[in-house]
Amino acid sequence: MQTITFVLAGTLLAATPLLIAAMGELVAEKSGVLNLSIEGMMALGAVTGFIVVMETGSYWSAIAAGGLVAMLLSALFGAVVLVALGNQVASGLAVGILGVGLAALIGKSYESKTVPPMPKLPIPFLSDIPVIGPGLFNHVVLVYLAPLMAVGLWWLFRYSKLGLVIRAVGESPQSAHAIGYDVVKVRFLAVLTGGFMAGVAGAFISVASTTLWSDGMIAGRGWIVVALVVFGTWRVGRVAIGAYLFGVASIAELLVQSTGIGVPSQLLTSIPYIATIVAIALLSMDGRRIRLNAPVSLGQVYREAQ
Amino acid sequence: MKTRLISWLAGVAIALSAAAAQAEPLKAGFIYPSPTADVGWAKQLDLGREAIEKEFGDKVETVVVEAVPEGPDAARIMNQMVTDGAKFVMLGSFGYMNDGLRLARQQPDVAFIHASGFKQTDNFGTFTARNYEGFYLGGLAAGMVTKSNVIGMVAAFAIPEVVAEVNAITLAVRKVNPDADIKIIWLNSWFDPPKAQEAARALISQGADVLFSLHQDTPSVVNIAEAEGVHVVNTSSDMSSYGPNSVLASVTNDWTDYFIESFRAKLDGNFKGSDFRGGLASGAVKVTAWSDDLTEAQIAEIKQAETDIASGKTHVFAGPLKDQDGNVRAEAGTNLPDEAIFGMNWLVEGLSGSLPQ
Repeated sequence: MQTITFVLAGTLLAATPLLIAAMGELVAEKSGVLNLSIEGMMALGAVTGFIVVMETGSYWSAIAAGGLVAMLLSALFGAVVLVALGNQVASGLAVGILGVGLAALIGKSYESKTVPPMPKLPIPFLSDIPVIGPGLFNHVVLVYLAPLMAVGLWWLFRYSKLGLVIRAVGESPQSAHAIGYDVVKVRFLAVLTGGFMAGVAGAFISVASTTLWSDGMIAGRGWIVVALVVFGTWRVGRVAIGAYLFGVASIAELLVQSTGIGVPSQLLTSIPYIATIVAIALLSMDGRRIRLNAPVSLGQVYREAQ
Repeated sequence: MKTRLISWLAGVAIALSAAAAQAEPLKAGFIYPSPTADVGWAKQLDLGREAIEKEFGDKVETVVVEAVPEGPDAARIMNQMVTDGAKFVMLGSFGYMNDGLRLARQQPDVAFIHASGFKQTDNFGTFTARNYEGFYLGGLAAGMVTKSNVIGMVAAFAIPEVVAEVNAITLAVRKVNPDADIKIIWLNSWFDPPKAQEAARALISQGADVLFSLHQDTPSVVNIAEAEGVHVVNTSSDMSSYGPNSVLASVTNDWTDYFIESFRAKLDGNFKGSDFRGGLASGAVKVTAWSDDLTEAQIAEIKQAETDIASGKTHVFAGPLKDQDGNVRAEAGTNLPDEAIFGMNWLVEGLSGSLPQ
């Protein structure tokens, strides 16, 4: 494995789950709901996906099941914050902790077991290009789908009516309600979408990239996802750039360490975080535009006017 | 009303003393930092618990609480165990130390054994593995089988225990293969399997064909080694079933003898908190799952080294020993003392890279 091939392949593997989950979180936040339980949903998706592969051998069922089970948890979160009008931050933290614990419980008898990795789909011709080919074009399908999905989401928010409705609900739920949209329903669907995608991302980690289950294996990635959405100032393109940037920086860090240069490894370990924050902060220096992008009603409890 | 209460209490007292007369089993509590899986640190501790049960039969009753995070949860659980009557408590993580010591002071009739700590009292003993002795053997094997002459290590945190392992591996590799290049990646995380795998791939991309998985409880690195066709030496448990072609050796911990002896001492009433440091000699460190890729002559050489270390004829950190900066750490003819080994915060000569401090 050549260095460049490793960097490219490693970046895509590390960034794909972040990108998928961040896109889901973006949908939820655009609708005005801050979901802090991503870590728990990813863990639940990871354990579900892993068990399905272990028991049935079907990878696509695993990805779907991971998404669906995480979506169930997000339905609980949705019910708490949208129906019972709970505080979004507190409820998100609680549901997230519940998710991590639930995943550990369900996965108890699968702890530290492994599965064969999800089969890859090399793209004909492209994957034969030396060095770059095996790095970029020899992956599982989700790795190619993730950026396409980001493009789709960009289109959705920019050009489609559905995107406008979601944004309207996130900007001014009262106005959206006044012109006849069901705010709670739109937000609920957005939360479910976010949950599903977090679950898919978790399942990707447990069956496609890391191929084992262990309690705690998500190791904070759910929090990175939440941070990516905020630092990406709720713009699809920037969030996607952030995800890949984080991926490449986390790979570069390990590579630099392995060359044995005399930089303290804690500094290197923090580089992915620093680099991502700095880069996206530079991209988003214009404070006025950040306020323009941030969904105005994000995190606020919405009470239907009677 | 009052007499009824008194007679009821008397009844309870009689029942209790009757139960006590029937040689009540001694209750032993075990607290692990991680879930007991098929492999890993908690699994090896649990094998020690099973050994106690097997050895003492109905004289012992064990309770286990696993995946206990260090901090208030651990304190609460160990207090509960003692309240429920446990007279022997095994604390399976370094971070349980202060809560355990406090409880030990309050409960002088309860015996504690604590993993990898450094504080002992009369009823609070510690146990540590000389894993570096096992990894020295693994290093010999790595130096023998490498074709690319690049050895890679995936290490958790640069605590003295892990640094000693890194140094032992380096010394061993250099002994059989002076030209080998040794690369280390510090994860700065105790638990992140995806990151451990990325690190393993990074090392392979830099030409490493033997990996060391240092303090990775899951088979994460073994998985990558198997997929990429390189060798790996792992920690904790025999992981050859995860990497039938890739595992060169597994450095495992066997606590059964120590646990049984400690429990027997408690049972006989002569438990005294000590500082147990078990290596190849006591069997607390065992290197298993030697790969078929090693020739008989190579195995013989490794076994000889094992015998010599176990008998004390040779020492892993024998002088002359210099650190990275050329400072003499042990003079020729002397061995590095235990305090220096268990407080190691420097890399041996010839290692590139710096130690996270």
